[in-house]
Order: sequence, then C-alpha cells, then structure tokens
Amino acid sequence: MGPGLARLLASQPLGAAGAAIVFLLVATAVLAPWLAPHGAKEAAFAPYQPPTREFLFGTDHLGRDILSRVIWGARLSLYVGLVSVMFGITLGGIWGVVTAYFGGAADTASQRVVDVVMALPPIILALTLMAALGQSIDNVILALTILLTPTASRTLRSQALSIRESPFVEAARAVGCPHWRVIALHVLPNTLATYIVLVTVNIAYAIVVEASLSFLGLGAPPDEPSWGAMLTAGTQAIEQAPWMFLFPGLAISLTVFGLNLLGDAIRDVTDPRLRGGLG
Amino acid sequence: MKRIRALVPMLALVLAVALALPAGGQDKPRSGGVVTWFDYGDPGRLDIHAESPLSVQQATAGIYSGLLQYDPEDPVKIAPDLAERWTASPDGRTYTFHLRRGVKWHDGQPFTAADVKATFDRVLNPGFKSPKCGARLKPMVASVEALDPNTVQFRLKAAAPFLPSIASAWCRIAAKHVLDKHGDLQKPEAQIGTGPFKFKRYERGNLIEWEKNKDYFVPGLPYVDGVKQFILVGGPTQLAAAKAGRIMLWDTWPPMRKTQAEELARARGDAVDIYQHPVNTIWIVYLHTQKPPFDKPEMRRAVNLAIDRHELVAKTLEGAGVPCAILDPKLVGDYALPLDEVKKLPGCRQPKDQDVEEAKKLVAKHYPNGVDLEVAVRSVGNYLDRAQLLLTQLRRIGIRGTLKSYESAAGFAVFGKGDFTMIATQDRAMDTTDPGDVFALVYTTEAGSNWGKFSDPKVDDLTDRALKEPDRAKRAKLYHELQRHLLQADLSGIPVAWVEGYYFRDKKLMNHRPGWTAYDNNTFMKVWLKE
Repeated sequence: MGPGLARLLASQPLGAAGAAIVFLLVATAVLAPWLAPHGAKEAAFAPYQPPTREFLFGTDHLGRDILSRVIWGARLSLYVGLVSVMFGITLGGIWGVVTAYFGGAADTASQRVVDVVMALPPIILALTLMAALGQSIDNVILALTILLTPTASRTLRSQALSIRESPFVEAARAVGCPHWRVIALHVLPNTLATYIVLVTVNIAYAIVVEASLSFLGLGAPPDEPSWGAMLTAGTQAIEQAPWMFLFPGLAISLTVFGLNLLGDAIRDVTDPRLRGGLG
Repeated sequence: MKRIRALVPMLALVLAVALALPAGGQDKPRSGGVVTWFDYGDPGRLDIHAESPLSVQQATAGIYSGLLQYDPEDPVKIAPDLAERWTASPDGRTYTFHLRRGVKWHDGQPFTAADVKATFDRVLNPGFKSPKCGARLKPMVASVEALDPNTVQFRLKAAAPFLPSIASAWCRIAAKHVLDKHGDLQKPEAQIGTGPFKFKRYERGNLIEWEKNKDYFVPGLPYVDGVKQFILVGGPTQLAAAKAGRIMLWDTWPPMRKTQAEELARARGDAVDIYQHPVNTIWIVYLHTQKPPFDKPEMRRAVNLAIDRHELVAKTLEGAGVPCAILDPKLVGDYALPLDEVKKLPGCRQPKDQDVEEAKKLVAKHYPNGVDLEVAVRSVGNYLDRAQLLLTQLRRIGIRGTLKSYESAAGFAVFGKGDFTMIATQDRAMDTTDPGDVFALVYTTEAGSNWGKFSDPKVDDLTDRALKEPDRAKRAKLYHELQRHLLQADLSGIPVAWVEGYYFRDKKLMNHRPGWTAYDNNTFMKVWLKE
C-alpha cells in the first residue's frame, strides 16, 4: 500500500469501510459460480430448513439454498445497478452537458422535460414503466435508466453551465475548435468528478429500486435470485422461517450501506469545498 | 419449530370440532350486520356467462339466481331456486321447469320465462363463447322453449346428467331487458339480478359490495344487510386480513396451506373454526399444441414425464393434494381410476429417474442444445412458487423457461386468445360434482378451458358417450378408459394434482356450509351473524 493511499484511507475511515464492503460485493458477484454451494434455482432440498452447517442461511419454501441465492443475487443486483447507472448517468450527463453548452430554447425545453419526469414519484414511475414494459431484467434496467437520466442531466447541466463560461472554453472556441471538440475535450472531462460521485451514489439507489420492484412483484422474473423477490417470499413465512427474509434483507442493507459510505467518501475527496481547499 | 409441531394436534382437534359442528345452525337466526370475505383477484369483467375466473363468479354470486341451486344448507342436494318445481320425461330427454310467480328483478321489472329463454339462447349460441355454463350445456341441450310466462322446457340431445349443470353457479338467469340494453353483463350497471343481494359498489382492485335485496323472493331472506368482498391479492395479505379479523370467512380459492392455518390458529384460534376441505379443483400445466416446441407431441410427452407431481404437491401445497389424478376418488368415488394404478403410470411413477432420462432423450431428439421459451403464469395464489419449481424440474431435461407473469384478469385474456407457449400452472375448478366436468372443461376439443387447442377424437367420443350413459357401472367403465387414454396421451393440459387445503370461518358467522365446488354456496342467502 502506497503512502498516498494509506493517508487517504486514514483520512476517510468510513469510506475505507465502504470500499471494503463494495469490494466484497464485487468479489461475491464475480466469483458466484465458485462461491455458491448450489445453483440459485436448484430446489433439491427439504423446504424451510433453518440455518445449519450444511445450509448456512437455511433453505426457502421451495427447498433452495438461501446462501446460494444471496450470492447469485449479488451478481444480479450489481449487474442491474452498474448497467442502469452507467446508461442512465452517462446519457443524462451527455444530455445535460450538450444542452447547457448550446443553451437557448432547446435547453429550456429539455429542462422542462426533466422537470416533468422529476416531478413524478420515482417508485410510482418505475412501477408504471414495469407494468407497461413487462417483467424482465432488461426492462428493470431500462426503467432505472429512465429514472436516472433526468437526475444526471440536471446535475451535470448545472456544472456545464459554469464550465461553458470558463476562459479555457472561450479560448478553445476563439481558436476555432468545433463545438463537438470543445464539448468532448474541454467540458465533459471537467464534469468527471461529479459524474463519478453520481455513479457511486446511484448504484445503491438502483439496487434499492430493483429490490423494491422485485419485492412488489414487478422487477426481475420471479425465479431469478433477486434479493427483493427473496424478501417477498420471506414475508410469507415470517413466523415459520425468519431466515428467509433476514439474509436477503441484510444483503441489501449492507450493500447500500457500503455504497453510500464509499460515495460519500469519493464526494468528500473530489469536492474541493469539502476538502477545505476552497470552501 | 417445536412450538409449531406442538400445535398440530390442537389444530387437528380444531378441525374435527369445526367439521362436527358445521355452522351452528341450531341457534335462532337474527337479521343485520355485514359479512366480510375476500376475492383473490380483481375480476375486471363481470359477465357470468362469458367469463370463467372464480373471481367473476364470486363478485356476482349473490346477485343472481338460477333455475336450480345447490341447497345452501345441504350442499350436495339440488334444490329449487327460480324454478319452484320441475319434471322430467320418462326418456330423460325433456325437462319442464315451473317458475316462481311474482319474482322481480332488482330494477323492479317482472321476471318471466322470456328471461330464462334469453339466458339460455345466449349461452347456447354457437357463436357465443361461454366457457362455463355454455361449455357444459352445449353438448346436452337441443332447444329451450318458453311454453308460457311461467313455464320453460328444455329438450336434450340425449339423456344426460342435466340437472347438476342447470344448478351450476355459472348458469344464472340474466334479465332479457338488461341483455337487450347493455348487450352483455360485463359492467357493474348491468348487474341486475333476482338474487338475495343487489350490486352496490365495485372499486377496481379494492372492494366489491352487495346490499340486501329487500324484495328477495324468499320471505325473510337474506339475514345480513350486505356483503363486502375485499380484493386481496397474495397469500400474505389474505392471511394478514384473516389474522386481523378483517375477513370473517376463507372458504374460497386459494385455500390456506397447513402452515398458514397453524399461524391463524395461533393468532385467532378462539374466534375462528378452521377446517380442511377439498376444493374440487384440478391443477393443470398447459402446453400450446399449435406452437413450437409443443406442436411436437414428443415434446409434450417429455414435459409430462419430467414433471414431478409429488414434489410439487409436497412443496407448494404442503402435501394437501392428490398428485397425478385426472379424477379424484375422494370427490367422485369409483368414477376415478384407482390411485394405485395412476401412480404406476409414466410421469407419475417414483422415483423419477427413468422418466427424466426418457424425457431428456425426447428433448435432445428435437433440440440437441435444449430449448428456451417464455412461460406464462398468473400472479395469484401461490402460482409463482409453483411455476418456479416447475421450471426447475424442466431445466433438468433441457427446457429452459423464463416466467412471464400476468395480473389475474389479463392472464385469462391472454390464455383465452391462445397467446402463450406454456402456462406454468392454472387451477381449473369444477362447476359441478359430476365426474364429466373435468373432461368437458379441459380435455375435449370444445372444452371451455382447452386453451392449448388439444383435439383427440377418441377423447371427444368417450367424453360424449360417458356423459350420455345412463348406467352407472358402464359410465364408470367409460371414464376409466378415458382416464387411461388421457394419462398416456401427449396432452396439452397436463394434470398435476387435485388441490386441497384449509379454510376458516369466524365463529360469529352462522349457518354457512362449504360448497362442494368453489363456486357453490357463495350467495350468503341463509348466513347470519351472531351478536
């Protein structure tokens, strides 16, 4: 470990803890085929077995190993979280930056569209989209992308508005740089820190929304090992088999906790005002 | 777990007591109060003649009357309703019904034989899809005539078990003037009946409410002022409502599983009677015979071989069901093929190894790399659990399904249009206790729930002959032949099990007896509430 990283970890101990949790999540997702003792959909065991040495998290109502489903669920959650956030924040970011750069009626009109989407309660919008699109992982990603795009557009637009007026942007324009080059080489790179924070924070949000949709029966298809769907199944046997909702619930909480800690730390590190430099 | 096990004998005692003292009918009835129960899904459409979901029948059960009915106080007995008496010709091919006089529709119009004729002309019309009443009666009835304003005559194509079908809760009489005005019975404003209750309110996805019909043709009935049906989708919601005392009755599909009954006993054991009862409902897996991959009979056979009915019943019904059977001996006696014989047949026999190996070969023959398909399922009851387990079983033979779930009414619409490849699970409740019901409902070419477009002339012929066979022993023999044929045919509707389960009624709900089909005894005409 280099002295710079050590200093960073010492200055952001909660961020370090978050990073460790996120690392654990990613490792679990990547290594799921080797870590999971059984298949996520394998229902070959007696149902409602409490946690034992053989089944560390117990079995569910159909005789599936909950530990295996939680491990495979990490892959699903991370996949949905990462892909939807990458699409949503990237598309939203480009949208916001481009419209901010050109300004005028197109910018005003596009921001009114953002106003309309952001005025709708996110979970209601997500539910409506899923009801219209149908249940599939791809559609969850699409719904989340639609949810995230306006947020990213609004946030990155505000930053792009100030960058647009910067001397280096004016200088680039003055020497005859085409607009696409100014945007690609001068404006977008200067929004990167905000973009990274948005991505980190919204992965947790996307995971929670996916779990919520699945909990309500409108997320991933029912047999996919979604933590949210596992929670729903757990509610049917709260008295009989509390381990059915306990472990997926813990997985969601821990993941969101870790991602939020990491997101906060990245924001602290990248925001000069919070670093004490300019604030 | 010890606590739960300790409760089992107590629950058994509760059941025994509940069944021994059915309904507390010895007390003197009192009037007033509102019964609360639930509908497992939002019916959406309300036309009792054109629809088949139980949710539709429940929503309208108390609104209409039939010519006959199953006696609310003796549910195996056929009793008068709008017909006060009836006669049959010696050859059993002509039935004459003498109607009650002075009966009024809920809007004040007089009830006459013209309404009966309009009703049966509608359901018997070859161009009108009537999956319940019409599907039962079309093979039997040749014509319906109103002889005078108070007499109706049915001529049958052959002697057949006609009265159970006429008493079916789906063959309710609609008003001619309402049909003329609205064209159908789909909307709440078209719910004008002669039944003990008037249709008061339908809040989509939330509530259906009836109010007492003060002009009901049986003096003094109904006892209660109204009935509220909460639309409660999903087992946890239904159980929570039961535990909180929000519903007084759980006598309908889906039944409670044993663990749910135990949970309810712990919460409200002193206030409710819990009992076990068959639902007269068969669990079917549908394959569409005109769409790949199941247009190939060997692929249908592979599914039939691969499904482990015993595991499905053990895990999703907690053992409360009769695996494999097309007819349940508990419900129809010796019309059913002996279960010992059924259990030895391919697809049902245990262990599954031999059947699964054969199924794998059949799939590999047509799809060497396996096959991916979309599997439809309605998200009601515990269908999603059943579907997940089924997909796990099919994955062993190379059929990789992805579930596509539908809201209750939307699912029925999709199934009716044949817009599916496979339906993972669908219970079909019988309309009557007649053994011929399941064949007329699922397996014949013209069956109301033959969604997979299965057609086998031998099945049609045996079903028709058995239906019209007056000799009981010969009829049983025909049904045995039919079941043997079906259990070895490459079916579209694969029988998984007959469903059973647990129910409860609040101890203050009096004079309620469970019907022998899910549809009967849902009118609450003789139910009353203790103070």
